[in-house]
Amino acid sequence: MRWVWITLALGLVCQRSDGADSQVRFNRDIRPIMSDTCFRCHGPDQRARMAGLRLDLRDEALKKTKSGVTPIVPGAPDQSAIVDRIFATNSAKIMPPQFAHKELTGAQKETIRRWVAEGASYEKHWSYEPVKRPAVPDVRDSKVPIRNPIDAFVMERLRREGLEPSPEADRRTLLRRVTLDLTGIPPTPEEMQAFLADKAANAYENVVDQLLSSPRFAEMQTVRWLDAVRYADSAGFHGDNLWPAWPYRDYVLRAFRDNKPFDAFTREQLAGDLLPNATTEQKIASAYNRLNRASAEGGLQPKEYLAKYGADRVRTLSTVWLGSTMGCAECHDHKFDPFTSRDFYSMKAFFADIRETGLINDRGASAWGAKLLLPSPEQKVRLASLKTRIDAAQAELKLESERLFERRWEWEDRALEAYKSGDLAWRYQHPVSASTLHGAKLSVYNDEPIDSDYYMKGSLHSERKRGDGLVVASGPNPDNETYVVTFKPGPGAWTALGIDVFQDESLPGNRFARGSDRFVLTEVEAELSPSQKLPFVLATTRGFGETPENPPMAAIDGNPKTGWGVGFGEQNNPFLALRFADKVRTTADSVITVRLHHDSDLRRATIGRFRVALSQSEHSWPEDGDSAKKSAVAETSKSDAATLNVSVERGLPPAVLAALEKHEDDRSAAEKKAVLDHFSWATPELQPLTVRLAKLQAERDLLESAIPRVIYTERTKPRITRVLPRSNWMDETGAIVQPAVPAFLGTVKTDGRRATRLDLANWIVSPSNPLTARAFVNRQWRQFFGTGLSRTLEDLGSQGEWPTHPELLDWLAAEFVQPTSGARHAWDVKHIVRTIVISHTYRQSSLTNPSLSERDPDNRLLARQSRFRVEAETVHDIALAVSGLLVERFGGPSVRPYQPDGYLAAINFPKREYSASHGDDLHRRALYTQWQRTFLHPALLTFDAPTREECGVNRVNSNTPLQALELLNDPIFVEAARVFGANILKSGGARWEEQLNWAFGRALNRAPRDEERRILTDLYQRSVASFESGESDAKQLLSVGETPVPAGLEAKQVAAMGLVARAILNLHETITRN
Amino acid sequence: MNSSNGLQLCRRAFLGRGVSGLGLLALNSLLQRRLMAEVARGVVNPLHHPAKAKRVIFLYQAGGPSHLETFDYKPTLAKMHAKPMPESLTKGQQIAQLQNSQLLCFGPQYGFNKFGKSGQEICELFPHIGSVADDLCIVRSMWTEQINHDPAHTLMNTGSIVTGRPSMGSWVLYGLGSEAENLPGFVVLVSSGKGGQMQPIAARQWSSGFLPSRFQGVKFNSVGDPVLHIRTPPGLSENLQRDSIESVNALNRVENQTAQDPEILTRIAQYEMAFRMQASVPDLLDVSKEPSQTLELYGAQPGDGSFASNCLLARKLAERGVRFIQVYHRDWDHHSGIKANVAIKAEEVDRATAALIQDLKQRGMLDDTIVVWGGEFGRTPMSQGGDGRDHHIKGFSFMLAGGGIKGGTTYGSTDDFGYAAQENPVAVPDLHATMLHLLGIDHQRFIVKFQGLDARLTGIAGQVVSGILA
Repeated sequence: MRWVWITLALGLVCQRSDGADSQVRFNRDIRPIMSDTCFRCHGPDQRARMAGLRLDLRDEALKKTKSGVTPIVPGAPDQSAIVDRIFATNSAKIMPPQFAHKELTGAQKETIRRWVAEGASYEKHWSYEPVKRPAVPDVRDSKVPIRNPIDAFVMERLRREGLEPSPEADRRTLLRRVTLDLTGIPPTPEEMQAFLADKAANAYENVVDQLLSSPRFAEMQTVRWLDAVRYADSAGFHGDNLWPAWPYRDYVLRAFRDNKPFDAFTREQLAGDLLPNATTEQKIASAYNRLNRASAEGGLQPKEYLAKYGADRVRTLSTVWLGSTMGCAECHDHKFDPFTSRDFYSMKAFFADIRETGLINDRGASAWGAKLLLPSPEQKVRLASLKTRIDAAQAELKLESERLFERRWEWEDRALEAYKSGDLAWRYQHPVSASTLHGAKLSVYNDEPIDSDYYMKGSLHSERKRGDGLVVASGPNPDNETYVVTFKPGPGAWTALGIDVFQDESLPGNRFARGSDRFVLTEVEAELSPSQKLPFVLATTRGFGETPENPPMAAIDGNPKTGWGVGFGEQNNPFLALRFADKVRTTADSVITVRLHHDSDLRRATIGRFRVALSQSEHSWPEDGDSAKKSAVAETSKSDAATLNVSVERGLPPAVLAALEKHEDDRSAAEKKAVLDHFSWATPELQPLTVRLAKLQAERDLLESAIPRVIYTERTKPRITRVLPRSNWMDETGAIVQPAVPAFLGTVKTDGRRATRLDLANWIVSPSNPLTARAFVNRQWRQFFGTGLSRTLEDLGSQGEWPTHPELLDWLAAEFVQPTSGARHAWDVKHIVRTIVISHTYRQSSLTNPSLSERDPDNRLLARQSRFRVEAETVHDIALAVSGLLVERFGGPSVRPYQPDGYLAAINFPKREYSASHGDDLHRRALYTQWQRTFLHPALLTFDAPTREECGVNRVNSNTPLQALELLNDPIFVEAARVFGANILKSGGARWEEQLNWAFGRALNRAPRDEERRILTDLYQRSVASFESGESDAKQLLSVGETPVPAGLEAKQVAAMGLVARAILNLHETITRN
Repeated sequence: MNSSNGLQLCRRAFLGRGVSGLGLLALNSLLQRRLMAEVARGVVNPLHHPAKAKRVIFLYQAGGPSHLETFDYKPTLAKMHAKPMPESLTKGQQIAQLQNSQLLCFGPQYGFNKFGKSGQEICELFPHIGSVADDLCIVRSMWTEQINHDPAHTLMNTGSIVTGRPSMGSWVLYGLGSEAENLPGFVVLVSSGKGGQMQPIAARQWSSGFLPSRFQGVKFNSVGDPVLHIRTPPGLSENLQRDSIESVNALNRVENQTAQDPEILTRIAQYEMAFRMQASVPDLLDVSKEPSQTLELYGAQPGDGSFASNCLLARKLAERGVRFIQVYHRDWDHHSGIKANVAIKAEEVDRATAALIQDLKQRGMLDDTIVVWGGEFGRTPMSQGGDGRDHHIKGFSFMLAGGGIKGGTTYGSTDDFGYAAQENPVAVPDLHATMLHLLGIDHQRFIVKFQGLDARLTGIAGQVVSGILA
């Protein structure tokens, strides 16, 4: 039996840092065993503790228990109850008990026995000890260069393990590796040439310094930080609507670019709003506190969601800055680490001053709560000037209205009479024809029946009725479309045209549009045949569901990119009233043609169903859009169907009608105002002023909506924070807590004042917190070796992995906080990155051999570099950079690369269709992709990018068939391949040999091997044959993606070379750093 | 070896047809074994105990179907219609949109009939489901903790309300592996119909969470491309696509001679799998070739993307060895107009659900397939706005059939008002534990390390509901 233990114990050597014969150490050897198998019942969680026994504290473990035994007697394993119990064979006695489903191995039991025999000395958990800079081992006679202390720690360990380090990688591999790691873009052939030609001793260091100063370095670091703080462009719950967060992403970009000290970076994010004289930049940083998912679901219980948001913040903070799993303490004291439930809620209390609601509106002016506007200086000036002009125009209109209002009785009588006679009512038209410019089909339902499904008060109504002039779009669904409708109004004199938009459940976009999340009518034109233009002067709606970026006046402003649109509405159908510049007189034969243009950048923001109407009166107010009311009117007035009149309000707002029916003295102030406003709007003499004001307001709306904004932190009176027993938000019996850091880690000194987020941030970056620097450098290490020094980046606690090189981890942490040389300041991120990539450890070859692979399959001892697939964003960026498609621009609003149709079909409130960006924005680096939490862009998701619904610091790296489909068939990769193919032909030289060299140089930074040449030659020839025989179609292939096909090249040749390029872009090596 | 010969060989090996097998390159057969082993073997190997079922088809009725208009007959509630709910039941309980409103009883909107030899009580709107009543186990005593859609879905799918946990399909795939050669082992289908607010469903509901992403659910689209990027780019013949993939793999093999990296071998295997998926998936998802009596049985129209079509697809996927198939059907969120709307939903699901059970049965597959029917919560016995029902968590119904389930039984009950589970309450983790049990897994021993914890699908709770086992 004894022999078995020894053999098993040898298996542990890999985890032991100082040979088998030295003393057992608690942290390294005992804590991992106990944490996994004992602490659950005999650890920090008081309520889960059994037999009153606690083994995580020495004093407790040495006490005699109630049952009269002593768990641990130092130096005397035979008298120690724990040794007796773990070696027991009797199932009633053995520990851990069977129900725990935990078994100790023979080696583990023996280790515990030895530890007790050696005196059972305890250590505080390593990561909770203050960071002290360890002495650097002496490895003078190393075979490889010791470039800095990293190498000393690593080589010393290798020596103890009896392993040899690897030599430096060849210079091609090295440059490709460091360029990909630091910037996410492979080096160009020119950069490679320059590096190979540079014989200077510090050529590598010079390249590293250049790469560190590149904005690309900031982009690469930002990706990791955004995962950690779960940055996304959408709110994550329910409708998962888009919110303005990207200026925060740009703040992070600038911080890494400018090498902002990490302590300032921390303070600004947690408490930028609380800093004295906070700058705009610092306020933007405080958006960090708002990045948790938010819900706008009606019927949610606000208290419950406030509890969710608060808990999310603690989980994120503890993972990102403390490398700890405090989330466990939301329901109970932590099972393995000394975090109590009280600690959890005390931490949450720091955030109780953030102004927020449980239900966070996702539309309208109040959407997303506190927002910071970020106008450019020019926007500021224009806005101020517009406001002045609007005030003046309003004042003038008011003055003129009041002056003319002397004649109000006359006007009132006229209006009321016109209303009663039905003269004010809108006349719905029966079109004689309806067509489109880009292929959609328009069908007119006049007397024909049509099914419709619409919502009223949240439930669906279905009916079949005669269409009564309804125009329905169907068939092909182009991104932009123009509808042309003609009708014969008969004899009359018309003042306005109405466009009544109808919701229907069958429409994919928000029930109004054929796509997108809104419809946008960019321009409306009317014409009296033959070719007499009928200009409009004023556009009016009732104003529901509209967003400031789509004001009604934008439909008649002559600008094809601005338009009137409606984003969301459940019951009401929008109605646009367009006032003609001059009365339009028609005869029995007159034909009016109306053109509805949908030319916005939003894809398929095209109206699905509508009617057109005319008014002959001065002036009809836009119709109420309630389908049900309309339907009811149509029902009761069947006999009047021939009049085409389904106008329900007959041209007057209900409030005005109610007021007009009263004597002036009986009207309330609101009613008086309603009458005055309507009078201003309807009176012809006031039209020039009304129009001027409407134009200015539309201009302001468009300007204001173009101003960037960001959710951020506004402070309010702190809410009361209680411990929630088992995280039950309905349970109000828990103690009230004040903001505090975890008790075992210390306290924040405030002299009795309530501690703030700023105090928290200051504590985090103070010497009294040992966790932050360790957690950060451990995460940095992963970027350059594929695994952290402790594999569990998110957990440096008891259940986390004991670091492979604990002294190195501490040395890096110390060097991060207080650099010894070459750094600009404390907490210097670039310095720590530079230190890592300068080391020989980093520069080693990644090639392995069977014995090393056997001994250390995961390369934890670092006898070589690692090979791993690059991350999702880099997969995308490599293809774009190599092909020549990449458009580099630092920061800015998020962009939308191509995405398969219907990918967002499971989202609602509103329903929406994705609209890809155009031009440059299609080919930006992937980190700028619009991050939709519930349906992350599939190209990113497939390559393991996180959805960022929760904080995540450790991406998995998988290898799936869906990745193959993505790289082979996604239009962005097909486009990259064909453009790369064209570039090979244009720039790769005349001969096939040269062309392949050129292509390999760009994609892989090396020349092709003979075997590779043969394979690709074969593919090229078969491709040419396939295109020439007509089996494959070159033109079709070259039509993938927006980039034009270069002139002067033969399509079949470009396509065939595109397939060669595609094979190269699909190589494992292309998406691997080694 | 001459490279083009090599390619020829590989190509034939790749397609796996018309080759004796002995002609395969050694490398290739190694790859095949690696891949098959990876795909087929789960971590629970051997099983904890003999399994009753091999796979699950979860007909997920999203939005929260009313138990009172489906499986839970409440004559008392009918009598109390429009009268105040007893405060003893509702006091201090969570409610959603009915916060601050008067709580009035709202009687069942339809009658119930007794069906089958077992005489199971099922709402009259579901005669087809009634026709298979003797195969069904109706659970009337489900309850959950989460009253809003998104968290309730998360709990139902992952056993936890904290985002980032693996969904049940991922757990099962991780535990048991897949028997499907050319298909993912966990497939998700989504349909929507009419008659209710179409609540969104996030992709996280089928995420693999902290498990490797090859265990995540793959959503098949019933309209458009069935799997993202499953189609060869326009203009490329299938031959040329295959040539391209073979070239990529040949080049990767060359690289591996130097790199000796198992990840390269996996990559090669995955490209082969991708090609096989391209060849098989679109065909599989095309139900137009099904015999007309099958289409008739389900009430499916080829290409309509309906729940009926998805039920038919689920059967086809099950036949091909897919381990976990989740068929979401939406729009059960009946805050208003429940009478009309629930009838619309019944028409969409009644025939297809019954057809799936019959179809599986006649193919001899019902014995080892668990069919589950239910949503994230139920609906209030109180009225909302006079004609609807709000979200409800204290009691609702589920229906199960197939492998190891006791047919013809009704299990558990709610109180006379249909408010709270009373007899034999079944919590969400109990449902998970039972499902795993039938698949041969002891949920208490099915553990994954995560953030230092031993994570289980059933969390710290969950008990096998032995009363519903055959």
